[in-house]
Amino acid sequence: MKFKIDKDVFQDALNQVQHVVSTRTTLPILSNVLLEADELGLKLSTTDLDVTITRRIAADITKTGATTMPARRLASIVRELPTSEIDFEVNEDNAATVRSGPSFFKILGLPSSEFPVIGEFGEAKEFTIDQKLLKEALRKTSYAISTDETRYVLNGVNCLIGEGMLTLVATDGRRLAMVEQDLEFPAGNEIGVIIPTKAVNELQRLLSGSGELKVSLTDSQAGFELNESHLITKLIEGNYPNFRQVIPGEAKYRVTVEREVLHNAVKRVSLLVNEKTNSIKFCFDDHRLAISANSPEIGEAEEVIDVRYDGPKLVVAFNPEFVMAPLRNLDQDEVYIDLIDESSPGVLKIDEPFLYVIMPMRVAN
Amino acid sequence: MQPHYPLDATKPIDPSKLKPLWKQVSQDLRKDLGDPTFDLWFADFRLTSAGPEGVILLAPGSMYLIWVEENFKESLGYTFEKYLTGCGPIRCELATEEELAKDAEKASQKARKKKNEVTELRPRVLVEEISEAKLLERGRAAGLVETFRFDNFVSGENSELAWAAAQAVAVQPGKTYQPLFFHSACGLGKTHLLHGIGWESLRLRPKSKIIFVTAERFANDYIDGIQKSSLSPFRKKYRQADLLLIDDVQFLGRKEGLQREFFHTFNSLSDLHKQIVLASDCPASEINELEDRLVSRFQWGLSVEIHRPGLETRAAILRRKRDDWNMTVSDEIIDSIVERVRGNVRVLEGALIRVAMVATMNDEPIAPEAIDEVLADICGGDESQQIGIKEIKQAVAEHYDLEVQILNGKKRTARVAEARQVAMYLVRRLTDLSLVEIASSFGKDHGTVIYAVKRIKAKCEASAALKSTVELIKRRLVQSSSTVGSKRPQKVSQTRDGLKSSGVFEGGEG
Repeated sequence: MKFKIDKDVFQDALNQVQHVVSTRTTLPILSNVLLEADELGLKLSTTDLDVTITRRIAADITKTGATTMPARRLASIVRELPTSEIDFEVNEDNAATVRSGPSFFKILGLPSSEFPVIGEFGEAKEFTIDQKLLKEALRKTSYAISTDETRYVLNGVNCLIGEGMLTLVATDGRRLAMVEQDLEFPAGNEIGVIIPTKAVNELQRLLSGSGELKVSLTDSQAGFELNESHLITKLIEGNYPNFRQVIPGEAKYRVTVEREVLHNAVKRVSLLVNEKTNSIKFCFDDHRLAISANSPEIGEAEEVIDVRYDGPKLVVAFNPEFVMAPLRNLDQDEVYIDLIDESSPGVLKIDEPFLYVIMPMRVAN
Repeated sequence: MQPHYPLDATKPIDPSKLKPLWKQVSQDLRKDLGDPTFDLWFADFRLTSAGPEGVILLAPGSMYLIWVEENFKESLGYTFEKYLTGCGPIRCELATEEELAKDAEKASQKARKKKNEVTELRPRVLVEEISEAKLLERGRAAGLVETFRFDNFVSGENSELAWAAAQAVAVQPGKTYQPLFFHSACGLGKTHLLHGIGWESLRLRPKSKIIFVTAERFANDYIDGIQKSSLSPFRKKYRQADLLLIDDVQFLGRKEGLQREFFHTFNSLSDLHKQIVLASDCPASEINELEDRLVSRFQWGLSVEIHRPGLETRAAILRRKRDDWNMTVSDEIIDSIVERVRGNVRVLEGALIRVAMVATMNDEPIAPEAIDEVLADICGGDESQQIGIKEIKQAVAEHYDLEVQILNGKKRTARVAEARQVAMYLVRRLTDLSLVEIASSFGKDHGTVIYAVKRIKAKCEASAALKSTVELIKRRLVQSSSTVGSKRPQKVSQTRDGLKSSGVFEGGEG
């Protein structure tokens, strides 16, 4: 196997696939990237057995073949190479020589036959979807994914297709983020899957602001084909709980507030939150919102911002991180906070099909 | 039969007592959490067993189970404690699916104390070295013009106070003078100082957010915001500035909506102790139809007037310019230029350029005597230099058919009062004299002069007759003065425009 390749192209592709490679793995082959050279160019693949990413790039192939190389090491070598053209050659013992200008490297790899074969898709439901739409929807929901491994069904984004809607939901039991987007799908494609966190993160990295991607879904696997990349992931098995149960009905009061102002105020006040209670107080009263934190052993902080609110005085306590997470991931100027009372869940909304349920914490008197 | 609480839970509780127990606990929870919350979460829960092994609640759905465990574990705990002694941990189980129930059990035994990361606020670096290239890049982004910096500002007796205030503000923004307000006739260095403050602050605090705009640009941004019916980007832009520099604030006059917005911007910045520096071609009190609350705010900090430079300062400015532009013009020539040209700095610069150009064309240094010829249309071109307070009083008195002395006297009949006010107005308009100087020449105090100027301005708008009177007197004055000078003053503005288009001046006042 022998090829000549542009440094930037190679580096870019290696960066994109190397995130999947786990640092601590029992199988050494899993920290390697599979390189396959054929007439069409070079194909790079990495996998952790759950998520697999492949990417095709252009290269000047003189001899076809396949090998695997330690992914992180190769990426850091390529990043540091001095010239833009790289000569890459592998012998029968999977030892690669890399030449670039005055530099010379010899890297020992493993045979490509050891690299796990990525499961083929059987009968899959396929459709195309706008990249930007999916990227935005993932960004608006993925931060609410639970990290509690004992609740493995919550360790991903629940993705539902049907009734002319694409619904994405993530929750950890104390907050829930949901995007419900109108989308036409061919009938008979109704399906609900749970995409694991790692795949969600990788997918967000791959998605760009334009173009479409092809999604293939089976009961146990999902595939995403976009640009020159292909991501295949195992799905989380199990039933996602019925999230609609926790979305409160009609709200009594609505607060309108500027997103960034709120975000910055919460960020500041949260500096004085103590680890035990980890809550800050929101006092809504007559077009004002006073955000305060009070920890006997640290000190206190308060910030007052202007909001639109004409209901009665209401004091609700929230975990500041739970308030900031959606604010950080939205771009709208204004957000609405719907409230019922001091202990019912609050709902954060925007002018687009998005909602975020957040449980109040108990206000200590 | 009403059981006696608390029940002993060291032995399993008799199933018949579970229902009343749950009822009791429910009541307490309802009181504690409020009706809507209780109804939303606990309405369909059932208590299935209680004892040393633990308390088991059956949840009607997996989401209920998860959320109740995450959010109400504590409430459940202390409520059950009131009615049971020695019971085991509280667990929730899913009513139907056994598999899920087991998972839930495992989960409930494992304490979940997720440490919540507080987003870090990085400490702000107060003093930081910044490379010139970065400085230029940031300065340009802030709207600053690179030729206007502190190190090429020539300060003289005319601008001492302004110069000192500008330096103080650049070093300690928001502390000393809030706001700092410069006013002067055009071409005397207001804009230069404004930009200079910006550059210096940026050099001292590279991270600070600096905005330089003209009031017109501010207005356009505001109008843009209204058109797009979203003012928040506008507000965000201006209300997050650490240093806001606004040129030509007289442009705010007569624009009510803009003034209101500006008022709020002003307040929110000064509440945060952010520095505001303003420049205008007249004192705040004389800006046309500026709301009183804004006037008082403009006068609140330090208001400094930049006067016309004296002879030495004019010479210093031109020598500086000559060195900056690498011209070969002798000090003598410069001295003779500044003796002849008394206008603003732009006119001075124009004169210097012309002299240098003529010298290059003829390929020999220009003789001081020839300067008069070269600068024929610039010398004495500035109308205000030629008209003195005496001429104005005379012209006004003549027009109203009064003795000049009466204008200086105490008589206050309508006719005399109007004549006096018109005279004050014209002196203010056509000369560089300060309010105090004008007042003393009329034997009044400066408040009277301010009042007179305002009143005549207002009256002129209301009455065409008075307006034409004032214009007539003004025209006569200007004409008589231009016969003293060599040519008509309009030429001056042409020269200025010419210089502007040749790119010598950037971003100055129009």
